[in-house]
Amino acid sequence: MAKRSTVLKVSKLKRAFGPNTIFDNFSLEVRSGEAIALTGRNGAGKSTLLRCLIGADRADEGTVEVCGNPMAETSAQIRRDVATVIDDLDFFPDLSVVEHLDLLARAHGITDPDALVDEVLEEVQLVPQSGQLPGTLSSGQRRRLALATAFVRPRKLLVLDEPEQRLDTEGVAWLAERLRTERQNGLAIVFASHEPTLVETVATRVVELGAPRG
Amino acid sequence: MSTADHVIDDRSPEPEPLTPATPRELKGMIKDWRAGRATKHLSEAFHDAYVALIGALMIGAMIINVILKAQRVVSQCDSTSCVSARTVLPWAAFAAAVAAALAVSRLFGPVLASAAEGFWLLDAPIQRARLLGARLVAAIVTALIGGAAIGALVAALTGSSLTSTLVWAAATGLSAAAAVSFAASQQGIERHRLTRFAGAFFTLLGLAALLLVVAISAGWLRLGLSDDLGVELGLVLVGFSSLVLITSLVSAVRRLGRIRRARLLSGGALVSGISGAFFALDIGLARDIVVERRAAEIGHVKVKRGKGVGLQAIMWRELQRLMRFPQPLLVVAGTIIVPYAADALGMSSLTPVFAALALFVALIPTLGGLRVLTRSGGLARSLPFSPAAIKLASVAVPAGIAAIWAVATSAAYLGFGDGAVQRTVPEASLMAIATALAGLLGAIRWTQAKGVDFGAPMISTQAGAFPPGLVSNLFRGFDVCLLITAPMLLGLSPFWSLLIAAIAAVVLLNSMDAESLRAKQAEQQKALAEQRKQRNAAAQAAKQRKR
Repeated sequence: MAKRSTVLKVSKLKRAFGPNTIFDNFSLEVRSGEAIALTGRNGAGKSTLLRCLIGADRADEGTVEVCGNPMAETSAQIRRDVATVIDDLDFFPDLSVVEHLDLLARAHGITDPDALVDEVLEEVQLVPQSGQLPGTLSSGQRRRLALATAFVRPRKLLVLDEPEQRLDTEGVAWLAERLRTERQNGLAIVFASHEPTLVETVATRVVELGAPRG
Repeated sequence: MSTADHVIDDRSPEPEPLTPATPRELKGMIKDWRAGRATKHLSEAFHDAYVALIGALMIGAMIINVILKAQRVVSQCDSTSCVSARTVLPWAAFAAAVAAALAVSRLFGPVLASAAEGFWLLDAPIQRARLLGARLVAAIVTALIGGAAIGALVAALTGSSLTSTLVWAAATGLSAAAAVSFAASQQGIERHRLTRFAGAFFTLLGLAALLLVVAISAGWLRLGLSDDLGVELGLVLVGFSSLVLITSLVSAVRRLGRIRRARLLSGGALVSGISGAFFALDIGLARDIVVERRAAEIGHVKVKRGKGVGLQAIMWRELQRLMRFPQPLLVVAGTIIVPYAADALGMSSLTPVFAALALFVALIPTLGGLRVLTRSGGLARSLPFSPAAIKLASVAVPAGIAAIWAVATSAAYLGFGDGAVQRTVPEASLMAIATALAGLLGAIRWTQAKGVDFGAPMISTQAGAFPPGLVSNLFRGFDVCLLITAPMLLGLSPFWSLLIAAIAAVVLLNSMDAESLRAKQAEQQKALAEQRKQRNAAAQAAKQRKR
């Protein structure tokens, strides 16, 4: 069996808001082909932790490394390696669904992205909406588009915050299967979820936040 | 139990039929509710507002002072071309006011209702027309006052007499009111083509009037219009616009009850969104709401393949987006006239300032890509480039447009109108480049402005707590324009303006990286604290060992 390289290394991370400590001394190592599910009640700090992992929020203490590079959200190398689906994804109001995916694929150096874009579009069931502008999409369709942006580009680490949100049952089942395949193909995944099916199907390890860890 | 116990008394009185409330009663009820939930008396509100009043008076006095100074400068120019241009410019203001009134009316309704009114009142069995009548009147009166202010301002700034100023104020105000009334009558029958056509017509008319000013000043055309003729034409316009206002108003009132509820509510939702943004003094957010709304109305586009890879892909998409919705280009093209018109009116020294401000406003819609990529981190994070590289790619197309604009306006700085300052071709070209840079950099600064952080510690003032940056946010962009054009305004070499522009460009293009610099600084501080902790622990351990 090939040796799996460490993709994400988190050491002694601490984040507090005033007197409220969200997490302290949090360490984690994720290798390629591993999927870590973060679970816990609302307000346990899952989203805050994910934001710290991708550099969108700054931890008070501790370090985060991606493929050996210290985390810096503005670093081009980090942006090349890490694909994220959290709630702050924005869209160009005058670019259609398919044009967003085409732009992202080309920006990542894919010279002829048509086949890949079509495949992802089909998977997320947005083919009928391919020419629509994002402002006309339903919340579920916007979620699917956000997920598509992560699958249309190269990535070593995928970070998702409650990816099942606003998806129908069929959509959750598709996502679980897709993430499992991604993991089996060597992608490292860290995701927060409240959906037991997704956690069971995808995760190789489960970390429960807001509870004493043994 | 006897059967008599089960006899139903059928003599009980029949329930009286319910009478629907009148709109007046419903409005009265809402007024009562609102008054009951008020947290301040009127006198208290006035007491709190005194700082705002003093501020408004001060700013008002400053504006009037600027207008009077400008009028004095313009009135010194008494050549035929200046007088003719003075007579034509109020026409441009009239056309612009009508075009703006039509555009705003089409965007908001002009008749609209809030979500609460839609939920509670529009479903009630009342005459919708009576409920909406006040809204229509409010919209028309607003247009009347706004139009009159624009008409009076332009007429005064062009050095017109008091009579002429009053006539143009009335003509422009009544025309804007007639435009809103016309748009309302079209709203009642769900038709917008005529409103759109009229809007485009008056925009072109305004541009034509500005071109006429330039042509007269250049001596290509001689109109020989006198101030008296201008007043007479203005009076004709007053009569005609009054006629249109009355007929459209009658038609609009008749059709008020036919306006769909969805249409009324969408206008109301837009107003509440925009007013929320304005309360936070976030004009960028207000613009985002309008842009999103327009995009949602369009809904579907013909898909275009992208081109290139890497940063080229972003630049190509920017170009494609602009070609898809090219209206901003027309506005930028329209602003080419501004330096020529300013020079023609004898305001040579102020030309760079006016031209830069006009370009600044016109370029903002071309920077939509930069806005999306800087307002939240999500999309920028998914692109494999540094923020500075993304920013450069996003502004490449607008920068190209600004360069073309600079070439097209160079001749204006040569000394175009009668009595204008004469300059050499290299100096005029440098002035045009510096002015274009001022407009572009101002637009970039405005576009990437972050909303005010209400979570940050507040500044205590007599008017209450203010978040830092609340007021300065309003002047973002304008400051860069004025800073870069200031040397030219003071009669210094345009090289100074170019130097300031270069410094501003370096700061603005790296401002997004300021966050990463702060992050690095925080990391370094964290590492230093860690080392200090370790040193202290080691020293403590050494002490204990000694003991």
